[in-house]
Amino acid sequence: MSTASTSGPGLDDLVKLELKVLAKDESAAAAEEFIPVFHRWITERVLPELLIDVADYSHVHEGPGVLLVGHDAIYAYDQSRGEPGLLYSRRRETAPESAGIATLDQRLDSLLRCAFRACDQIEAEPQLAGRVTFDRRRIELRVNDRLFAADDDMVAALESAFSRALAASDIGNGDGPVTLERIGEARERLTFRTA
Amino acid sequence: MSQQTANGTASWKARLERWIPPHLDEQIEIYETQLEQKRQGKIDDKVFAETRLRRGVYGQRYDNGQRHDGTASRALEYPCGDLTKGPNTVWDAPGMLRIKIPFGAMNGEQMEVLADLAEEYSDGIAHVTTRQDIQLHFIHIDDTPDLMRRLAAVDITTQEACGNSVRNVTACPMAGVCRDEPFDVSPYAHALTHFLLGHKDAQDFGRKFKIAFSGCEQHACGLANMHDLGVVAQVRKAGNGTSSGTERGFRVYVGGGLGAVPHQAKVLREFVREDELLPLAQAVCRVFGRLGEKRNRARARVKFLVAKLGIEEFTRLVDEELAVLPADDRWTAYLDDLSVTDEAPTRPAATLEPGPRPEGFAEWLGSNVQRQRQPGYVTVAVNLPLGDLTSTQLRDLADTARRYNGGLVRNTVEQNIVLRNIGEADLPALYVELRAAGLGAPGASSLVDVTACPGTDTCKLGISASRGLAGELRKRIATSIRTTGVLADEAVKDLRIKVSGCFNSCGQHHVADIGFYGVSRKSDGRTVPHFQVILGGQWTENAGSYGLAVVAVPAKRIPEAVERIAGLYVAEREKGETFQSFIARVGKARVRQLLDDLTKLPMYLEDRNLYSDWGDPREYTIGDLGVGECAGEVVTAVEFGLSAAEREVFQGLLELDRGEAEGAAAKAYTAMLQAARALITTENIDIGTAPQEIVDEFRTRFYDSELFFDPYAGAKFANYLFRVHGDPETASGEEAHRRIEEAQLFIEAAHACNQRISQAQVADPLRRAV
Ligand code: HEM
Ligand code: SF4
Repeated sequence: MSTASTSGPGLDDLVKLELKVLAKDESAAAAEEFIPVFHRWITERVLPELLIDVADYSHVHEGPGVLLVGHDAIYAYDQSRGEPGLLYSRRRETAPESAGIATLDQRLDSLLRCAFRACDQIEAEPQLAGRVTFDRRRIELRVNDRLFAADDDMVAALESAFSRALAASDIGNGDGPVTLERIGEARERLTFRTA
Repeated sequence: MSQQTANGTASWKARLERWIPPHLDEQIEIYETQLEQKRQGKIDDKVFAETRLRRGVYGQRYDNGQRHDGTASRALEYPCGDLTKGPNTVWDAPGMLRIKIPFGAMNGEQMEVLADLAEEYSDGIAHVTTRQDIQLHFIHIDDTPDLMRRLAAVDITTQEACGNSVRNVTACPMAGVCRDEPFDVSPYAHALTHFLLGHKDAQDFGRKFKIAFSGCEQHACGLANMHDLGVVAQVRKAGNGTSSGTERGFRVYVGGGLGAVPHQAKVLREFVREDELLPLAQAVCRVFGRLGEKRNRARARVKFLVAKLGIEEFTRLVDEELAVLPADDRWTAYLDDLSVTDEAPTRPAATLEPGPRPEGFAEWLGSNVQRQRQPGYVTVAVNLPLGDLTSTQLRDLADTARRYNGGLVRNTVEQNIVLRNIGEADLPALYVELRAAGLGAPGASSLVDVTACPGTDTCKLGISASRGLAGELRKRIATSIRTTGVLADEAVKDLRIKVSGCFNSCGQHHVADIGFYGVSRKSDGRTVPHFQVILGGQWTENAGSYGLAVVAVPAKRIPEAVERIAGLYVAEREKGETFQSFIARVGKARVRQLLDDLTKLPMYLEDRNLYSDWGDPREYTIGDLGVGECAGEVVTAVEFGLSAAEREVFQGLLELDRGEAEGAAAKAYTAMLQAARALITTENIDIGTAPQEIVDEFRTRFYDSELFFDPYAGAKFANYLFRVHGDPETASGEEAHRRIEEAQLFIEAAHACNQRISQAQVADPLRRAV
């Protein structure tokens, strides 16, 4: 895919993407419970990237809940739309494991790995005692960059790349391929969600 | 214009070109060049820090590359290596952006852009500050030029939001609709904002300078008493009573301020006419710029200068400045168009008829809605927890505001947002919309509506978790009200609680009924987060009196302390007795005694909970305390001028590299003129920009006096300027190259000259002051 120099970042240059993996309905942990969890992730360097701070917005209605701010990405136990889930919002790619990402396909693959790794970690957190589990088949991809002015072809290309990435990840487990739908209003960021 | 659907282009700069006002565009360009200079190590750390601060780009906790995890301090290994954005401030570390919202007024489009920016560059949250601004946190400095452009495209600037400059001009959020005001102060706040923004007389301060407008003396909203310059609306009979009509004017206060040592403002003028306001403010700025302390930043606010000189002497100096100020059309031009800030209702003024009401409506109506001066219209406060709202809420609020009043809101110093000009009959429907967006909480401006500074969450100076405590208090108070506990009593309903994370009082704890500021205490060989309890402060009468510390209580026991204090008041107050009078009557010793047992700390192993702070599971330390950027770096106007000259040469250098000799030589010439002009401003602030004037003044003041002479090279560098001035144009690459080098040497000589002058001033401080 080429970079269209007149229309913002091309698909391969689109770094600011985010994924949200929804928590299963039976999940029962308040966002505040993530405060000590995320602090420990920083202290014990649980993830192979620079983690900096924890921010608590659990007091805000359907907000980002509790955030773990890293240099390359923000993780959150996000409450937007009233649907708790793990938000992984990529901002930059400086961590060693991001070295060599050059295409959208590679990036989506890396995003899924990072998001699922955080989900695995949360599910195994002793402090949460298995009270939060994620449905890896209910997942959203969002373009967090309004400079990206997508035409229909680009939207279609992004959607099919995301489908490919999902199919290649291990979420299928024989349940059949996932399909995607576009959600949100026009002024909101471009978002696909598994149907 | 939607920034999302605008015609696609490769950068925000290109996409928004047509929308950015030229004066803001120029500033952003300069700033972007400075970022590039800093990346290349071509600008001094301190100068760069002050330059970004003056553009609202603040540091944040952990930006020195260290973070304490409760056990030990650990390095945060940012990828930028040694690159810094100020002394001991790592380039890559997340920072805060303070966005100036003059008198808190925002429109729908601005709210939408703020929402977009919070999502794309920050953490999805916009934060309303105690001075009506909006802040975004966890911002990377590389993103700041784009942020500034996107803001500028909707007429918002971050310029002079921090640093030693005129900060956001605030005003009562009720201005224009209040029943107590003689007239709307908004257009005056607007005019003063624009007049002083980037004004040459407001660039050489030793500290920040805060201005607030108020519509009346008796209410709190404007807090005019606690500002460097407080302006309160007044009317009097025209011509001092000789003719029939009235004329508008202001009582002007000076030298108020919070901070570690709060000062009540003094009256500078009992009455200034509206046409006298801007020149008066300018004259005050000139006195402050000229005489304000520069070296000792702890005593550099206007309040110290007023205290030192006395108000009579200060007034005399202001009068003296006024007498010699060159006239400026802008002083009065705005008076022809005072309607610029008018907000007209878009819905009819129908009264609220009896009928079925949504759940919770009555309580919300009682606490969040106020009648306006205009019959049939009300204001509606949106009570924000800790001043925070999400991007989604900001967009919802923009939509709601558009439906009911054309899309306008005002931020308040209580960290809420107010919708004005709402038709009464619309209230039930409006309430339902706000509720759906999670913005319908009752209790605005009441006990539950606790104000807090950023504290240890993001502030480098934070000692205790002010936001953590405020959040906890909100929960407890709400529960107590629901379960008709002691905090549900009518008597305490309207008390205000304000929390600062340290003595600097960004949370305005001095003017709360019950205030707190963070301190630490040692116990059992460890450090324990505490808050000082402040009582006796007054929120009304424009922050009429300041409270004093009574006793320090461990952070985790503050909610208990609040319940006890409130309980005492409920039980023992006399009929109609205000909280301040009550505290004055029972005495602080009584309160101290009441809280005494709370101050006794258990051993660590008995109760570890007390050894950590609210909302932070780490064992408490003060290991993350850093050097704050509240004061900004004290960089004088000369240094800024010289830095601008360096930037000019730098750009000339780039042009030279591109083979553009003519442009490069022109830049070298301009750079020398800028450097010379910067020096001249130390003696003549009114120096113009015409080359001949600069060269002439430079010759008399610095050449003939030999002030500029290098101890070894003598007149050599000065002659570079004279030579180029005599023959400014050249297209020769070789000549351009030489001129760039000469300009660099000239600027170095100017730096050296400035240092010699400052040293002479240390030896003889009155030289410049008189
Ligand atoms: C010695 C350093 C500082 C002093 C003396 C100081 C003092 C103050 C005072 C007195 C106010 C508000 C009251 C008013 O005048 O209306 C204020 C506002 C504020 N301060 Fe500070 N401050 C300092 C540093 C900081 C730092 C490091 C931060 C954290 C980033 C911070 C955050 C704020 C905020 C968020 C506000 C309201 C903001 C606004 O102007 O919109 N302050 N500061
Ligand atoms: S009061 Fe202290 S902790 Fe709070 S923002 Fe100001 S400097 Fe920081």
